[in-house]
Amino acid sequence: MKSIMSRMKGEGFTGGLMSLPYIVYFSFFIAFPIGFSFILIFHKWNIITPMEWVGLRNFIRLFSDAQFFKAILNTLTFLVIHIPLQIIVALLLAVGLNQKIRFRGFFRSLYFMPVIVSGVVITIMWRQLYGYETGLLNMMLLQFGLDKIPWINHPTYAMPSIAIMATWKNVGLYVVLFLVGLQNIPGFLYEAANIDGAGPVQKFWYITLPALNNTMVLVMILSTIGGFSLFIEPFVMTGGGPMNSTLSAMLYIYNQAFYFGHMGYSATLGFFFACIVLLVILIQKKVVERD
Amino acid sequence: MLFLNQLFRSRGNGYIRHFILVMIIAGFTSSCSNDKEASTGSKTGKTIITYWCSSNAHEIALARELVEAWNKGDHPVQVKMQPIPASQSSEEVLLAAIAGGTTPDICSNMWPGAMDEFVNAGGLVRLDQFPDFYDYNIERVPEVLMETFAASDGHYYQLPWKTNPTMIMYNKRMFRDAGIEELPRTYSEFLEAGAKLTQDRDGDGHIDQWLGYRNIKPIWWQRFFDYYTFYVAASGGLTLFDGDELVFENEASIAVFELFRQIYKNGYFPITEFTGDQFIQGNLAISITGPYAISHVEKFKPEGFEYDFFPVPVPDDHEGLLYTYGDHKNIAIFSTTEHPEETWEFAKYLISKQADLRLLELCSQIPIRKDLSIDPYFSEYFNQRTMMTKFAEQAILTRGVDGAAELKEIFDAISQEFEACAIFDARTPTESIHRAVERSKVIIEWNRAK
Repeated sequence: MKSIMSRMKGEGFTGGLMSLPYIVYFSFFIAFPIGFSFILIFHKWNIITPMEWVGLRNFIRLFSDAQFFKAILNTLTFLVIHIPLQIIVALLLAVGLNQKIRFRGFFRSLYFMPVIVSGVVITIMWRQLYGYETGLLNMMLLQFGLDKIPWINHPTYAMPSIAIMATWKNVGLYVVLFLVGLQNIPGFLYEAANIDGAGPVQKFWYITLPALNNTMVLVMILSTIGGFSLFIEPFVMTGGGPMNSTLSAMLYIYNQAFYFGHMGYSATLGFFFACIVLLVILIQKKVVERD
Repeated sequence: MLFLNQLFRSRGNGYIRHFILVMIIAGFTSSCSNDKEASTGSKTGKTIITYWCSSNAHEIALARELVEAWNKGDHPVQVKMQPIPASQSSEEVLLAAIAGGTTPDICSNMWPGAMDEFVNAGGLVRLDQFPDFYDYNIERVPEVLMETFAASDGHYYQLPWKTNPTMIMYNKRMFRDAGIEELPRTYSEFLEAGAKLTQDRDGDGHIDQWLGYRNIKPIWWQRFFDYYTFYVAASGGLTLFDGDELVFENEASIAVFELFRQIYKNGYFPITEFTGDQFIQGNLAISITGPYAISHVEKFKPEGFEYDFFPVPVPDDHEGLLYTYGDHKNIAIFSTTEHPEETWEFAKYLISKQADLRLLELCSQIPIRKDLSIDPYFSEYFNQRTMMTKFAEQAILTRGVDGAAELKEIFDAISQEFEACAIFDARTPTESIHRAVERSKVIIEWNRAK
């Protein structure tokens, strides 16, 4: 006992003291919200009136809520378009920026810029680009004698349009990750391939891609988590429309909580959705990750 | 505290130590002084009450002027004015304030649709407990309208203040150029006007002038200015509820959905997102709006721009009075106040004739007064502004929204069906209205289940 006390007064105490800011942060901003959300799952609560115990009724409501499942389906649609697009574009750009080209540093910074700009600002900018009557993209199409496209005003086009915008915004981050991965591939592998007479495509396919497997897993997991939290883009750009085609799960949860005041129900939706994300990540990791 | 103790005992960090010490003292003294000022009024020794007004520039100017005049007078309380904190909506801020116990003493931006939630939360003072409450309101407010402001317990928690009757603002030159001599009164005439006004002016094969435009986002409150305005007019002044019963599955709703379906189908309203005011830019012939638009148009209109207002069109077979949606905003006193009597006195001052005249002059908004258009006190104002006279006359034929806690969700359900039927023609009006009602019933059942 004495030794514990003396250790506490020594290095252990200093260590504990230095960890205190994080412990406080963790307690208030992570542990408490998670714990409180879990309690909310079993309650009906609109913030201003007392909580009402509802048992598992929030779950019963969830399983009969067609709109929530539509929102999950929309989110998966977004992921199916966004993730491959993100990986292909990021990989191609990273390979390009890994070459000895002029202004390489400038281009690397340029592609990263959208990542640090506010999502709301970018979404407002793209909303103007996508405008049906006065948007720049449609003005360009008209110049080429083509028809206008209802980018965000038609259920068929709206989610792919948002996926393109999200890719444009996030691709810089994944370019950086791929660049790190590319720079870690030992040069002798390419030298050996050169001696064996391999062409650029063969080198890319048999050396670059397998060597980037770990980065690929990381990029997929990060963009999957990012994709599942799709919120700002539909919130600012479409409000979930047209005809709920861009209603993401996060937007639906937000609406339930902060528009309609169903805190308990939205906590249940959030919990259920987190389980789905976890499941998808586990499957993804299993499928993509190799030794 | 141990951390601070160690920090102050350690050596070599004098600057940090002094900085932290200064910050702590500054924070402590400022919090003390705030508390003192909020409760007693540090300079005058009088009690201070806090008043939240709307955050738009015109209403801030009005509130500032009224509060300054009040504070100069001989009143037992001084008023501290503050615009309602910025957020997506005032209701969100007020809910958060009620939850946090940080509500002001009084607020003049109370939307009747959210009152039920505030009342259920015990956040408001019952105003009909004041002996002169009815005297004030019988004089000002039409009886039928007054009844719509009663809470579900039969009591009044809001003091009717102002309304913005929704009407159709139109570009006179465009109507003239299109050869429209009579303003459209019925749906057939409205659609006929749409056909004439929707044009390809530069002949490039693309429409560049439309009858009008509505934001197509499926956001619940957007429906106040298309579906609901037209529904109130078509139904002769009905709202969504009759008591506890939903009543909007009717001919009026179906007719409104059908009207907008025709409008979008024929391209009279574009399915798009615009930036900037297309009405002022001369690309739209009409705008569905309230009297507050006058200040805006007057400020930004180009030279020679002519505009006026006409009532909301009604179905061809409509008979009777022409009602419309009135975007009411009322005054409420929060139960956190320590001075309800004094705050009530200030509330009455906010609806005085002088204050109402300034509301008209500064904000172009209509105070709820049944004799507004004939009261000599206001006659000079209305003689100079004929457009505002139309709103003053329309104001007594307005309907607000029901004070149901589920209202936002019900409007959300309507909004989704409106989008599916009217904008994308994916369902018939009858089917869409039925679906909206069914969904609303599920929402109500869930919310009211014990």
